[in-house]
Amino acid sequence: MLESVKQVWQFRALVGALVRRHIATRYRGSVFGFLWSLLNPLCLMAVYTLVFSYYMRFNGGPHYHLMVFAGLLPWIWTSSSLIEGTASLVNSGHLITKSMFPPQVLPVVSVTAAMAHFLLALPVLALFSLAAGVPVSWTWLLVPFIVALHALFLTGIVLGLSALNVFFRDVQHLVGNFLTLLFFMCPVVYPVSVVPENLRFLITYNPFAALTQFYQEILIEGVVPSAEALLYVAVMCVVAGFVGVTVHRHYQERFAEAL
Amino acid sequence: MDHSDTAVMGDVGSVAKSVDYVVDIRRLSKVFKRKTRATNGYTTFKQAIVSRLKGRGASAAKAEQPVTVGIKDLTIRIPRGASVGLIGRNGSGKSTFLKLITGIYKPTHGVVNVRGRIAALIELGAGFHPDFTGRENLILAGIMHGLTREEIDARFDEIVGFAELEHVIDDPVRTYSSGMFMRLGFSIAIHTDPDILLIDEVLAVGDAGFVAKCKDRIAELRRAGKTLILVTHDLDAVERWCDEAIWLDRGEVKDRGNPRRVIDAYRQHIEKQEESVLLQESVVVEAAAVPVEETPPIEEPLEEIVQPTRWGGREVEITQISLVDSEGAEKRVLHPDDPARVRISYKVNGEHEDLVFGVGITRTDGLSVFGTNTDIDRVKLPAVGSSGIVECEIPRIGLVEGAYTFDVAVHRTDGYPYDYHKEALHFSVRSERREVGVSSLARAWVVNGVRCAC
Repeated sequence: MLESVKQVWQFRALVGALVRRHIATRYRGSVFGFLWSLLNPLCLMAVYTLVFSYYMRFNGGPHYHLMVFAGLLPWIWTSSSLIEGTASLVNSGHLITKSMFPPQVLPVVSVTAAMAHFLLALPVLALFSLAAGVPVSWTWLLVPFIVALHALFLTGIVLGLSALNVFFRDVQHLVGNFLTLLFFMCPVVYPVSVVPENLRFLITYNPFAALTQFYQEILIEGVVPSAEALLYVAVMCVVAGFVGVTVHRHYQERFAEAL
Repeated sequence: MDHSDTAVMGDVGSVAKSVDYVVDIRRLSKVFKRKTRATNGYTTFKQAIVSRLKGRGASAAKAEQPVTVGIKDLTIRIPRGASVGLIGRNGSGKSTFLKLITGIYKPTHGVVNVRGRIAALIELGAGFHPDFTGRENLILAGIMHGLTREEIDARFDEIVGFAELEHVIDDPVRTYSSGMFMRLGFSIAIHTDPDILLIDEVLAVGDAGFVAKCKDRIAELRRAGKTLILVTHDLDAVERWCDEAIWLDRGEVKDRGNPRRVIDAYRQHIEKQEESVLLQESVVVEAAAVPVEETPPIEEPLEEIVQPTRWGGREVEITQISLVDSEGAEKRVLHPDDPARVRISYKVNGEHEDLVFGVGITRTDGLSVFGTNTDIDRVKLPAVGSSGIVECEIPRIGLVEGAYTFDVAVHRTDGYPYDYHKEALHFSVRSERREVGVSSLARAWVVNGVRCAC
């Protein structure tokens, strides 16, 4: 495990260069560039607010649109990491089969590039908060910690899934469908408070849902997440990281032949 | 197999220990699971589950899974600064071998030890992104090759200069020609301070000028003590640069050692194989030739283009062509002083008495070296019958080293072709003498009236 971390560290220059290229590729030739990556969460926020707050008269709390936005940004990080990351080895197969390219770099790049988009969108969230009269709380200082956990969690999952996807191309399709379900299992369009007590475990024990809640707590509500919840998620993240690295390493030497 | 002529392979234990080996491969084997056509090589969960279920309690069936042997029990040690050339037909395991050295593939059995930085010129420009400029791609490729940003900046001008791309380095690489693309890839790879240079069939980059430059650069790296591993069909390059040639055939070492000797053996082998293919083809041509004649040419114009090396009405047919020595044994590699005999087997379909047999020699670059026929030579042919053999005997082939082909024909005196075979038979001339030109004339040097032995 440590060795793998060391390897990725060794390739940090490569990861950095690939992430920069990844981001640049996305906006090359477009006039609005980075603004496009904001458009998707903004549209979704607008639609969910319209549908739930105005059509269905659902009371999602005083700052429903902010809660939705604070949930959507990390969700987009999660979903684009999983979709792109899972397919990353297969999509860049020529690098693995034709050159001495460290394959573990590819899923890491997918997660990191999506994280960069997430981080760049945070100031926009801060502006929205201020505009809505919600002060930027000191709990924003916890962002690096939650982001680190989130990144570890995603990296572990994506390392594992991308490796499996080399051998079973079904994985990328499964992930796509699974994400649709997962979105509604996370408290993005509804607050945790509407989930019945006896079903609350679906939020607490689902690290994706728990992470969503953490972001909403520290970014909008100005609340420090509970210590038990943090500990649980931290453990899950480490487990995911460990399993992901192990699976990836197990299959790694067969990638070039299978691709 | 004679190993004594090789500087590279030595089983001499005490001497070997003092040599610094950069590549040390022992008993290397690589086996691939054969991918079935139906699945196109990919597995789906369904197939995996089905095969799991079927395989339960039937592990014997699993052991019989079809495999392809990529490399079979290969041992090779390459000392620092040596040059090794790998030759062999397509699919003989050359590229698999390179991928095993680079670590792209993991060996099934055996050990691969590589010491030093490898620059693999396998796929030039792998990882280039078409929308990015040459500059951006160069920097990323440099990082991929393990250079730091400072090292790249320091070498940037040199890399671009070598690739001759100063004027377009800030254009997206999608606007580059394939030659420019390759030049950039090549230039980056050789500017990465490699200890070992792996070159897989990439010397065909760019124009002749650039190729010459690449070769100069490779020679320079060799002089600097870098190790070179070359995979190519360019046998001359192997002969010029390599200390040892290794001939791989279906994953096994068929021969190894002195490049010249191995290459000759290899040439002899493939030319024999080519001939058997040629003879099979001529049967196919025969079958196809009849409808071509009877249908208007507009309907089947492709047939003519596909078979440009053989034409004629086939009233008289050449059924076999061989090159033999004075004892009648087949030969494909000759010495300039060797005799040669071209043997043409023919078959006459119907009554045709007006026959002229012709033989020509063409160098593989297209230069017509020699040509004659029974009419030019004023040979009065005896009755030819319905089939037979005509031989053209050449007491001394008299050509300088190179690759040549025989063209063979039978036609009417007025030139009407019965059967015309261009490039009917490939052969090469090999010599220890370094004569230049085309013809190796018989000569002697006489100095002040004294005849010198040459």
